[in-house]
Amino acid sequence: MKRVVTTAIPRPRTLIHPGRFNPVRIQSHHSTKGRHVRLALLPGVSLFDGLVKPLAEIGITSASTTILGGYFGGLQYCVAPPDQQRQAVIAYSKPITAGHTYMIFGNATLGKGMNGAPLVHCHAAIRTESGDVKGGHILTDTCIVGRDPIPVLVTSLDEFELRQAYDPETNIPLLQPYKETTNG
Amino acid sequence: MAEMIAVEQGSMGRVAYARIAPNEDLVQGVEKVCLAEGFRNAFVRGALGSLVDACLGTVDGKYLQILGPAVEIVSLAGEVRSGEDGSLRAALTGVVADPEGNVSGGPFIAGLNPICMTFEVTLEEWLPAK
Repeated sequence: MKRVVTTAIPRPRTLIHPGRFNPVRIQSHHSTKGRHVRLALLPGVSLFDGLVKPLAEIGITSASTTILGGYFGGLQYCVAPPDQQRQAVIAYSKPITAGHTYMIFGNATLGKGMNGAPLVHCHAAIRTESGDVKGGHILTDTCIVGRDPIPVLVTSLDEFELRQAYDPETNIPLLQPYKETTNG
Repeated sequence: MAEMIAVEQGSMGRVAYARIAPNEDLVQGVEKVCLAEGFRNAFVRGALGSLVDACLGTVDGKYLQILGPAVEIVSLAGEVRSGEDGSLRAALTGVVADPEGNVSGGPFIAGLNPICMTFEVTLEEWLPAK
């Protein structure tokens, strides 16, 4: 466990990324009005399919979602240690198998990948089969919903869309907002 | 001391999504998203990303530092409020995971949570009734 309690204010660290510093530090867009959907992830489907398919059917391809807790029959996640290859500051670890897992809370962002296909970026706190409480980047295509539906609150992102694009500063592809959209 | 209001009625307004770049502060970054989008009050609707190191407050005024990089943000809730002095203040609370996946939680201290790779946040504008 890498944590310390101090009385002195810790000095934040500024890391050096491999690419050129981008002077634009915040990329943002807004929808005129919030549009929400209550979604149930159905038993036996993957977290990826349970999010992507029902939302696509109602025209939502960019969204921010909150996974409100539930059991998965199987789940894999990654953590983010420093990149040993030094291509980026960090790189995801190999998948860690958590087994029969309770997802305590998760956030998943839906957008489009570099190839235009749906992409889900999910982080969550979980209780693994061994009973440990862990957190990390969830591999949504390998997480299978358990016997009970899992509720999700969806906030649709209209009037703009999220697309994965190569980010020269960090040297990895990242989801970023773009003005044009097919949502709705 | 300002008068404390227990109930504030209002409605939800616009929805903003932002990607905040590395080395920016998490808490002040969320405040700046509100500046960029013209929000005066907002709730966090969703967020995920990573921090270089995380710094959370403790009940006795100390600092709980979780060392990365990277420390993943795995749960985040909070709000942004505009003050009578003309400033914006975000109050964010959440759960983070260290590079081994071990979790810690608490309130994020403004100025002490630099973003590592990226931070995605969705804010929903809160419009208090007049």
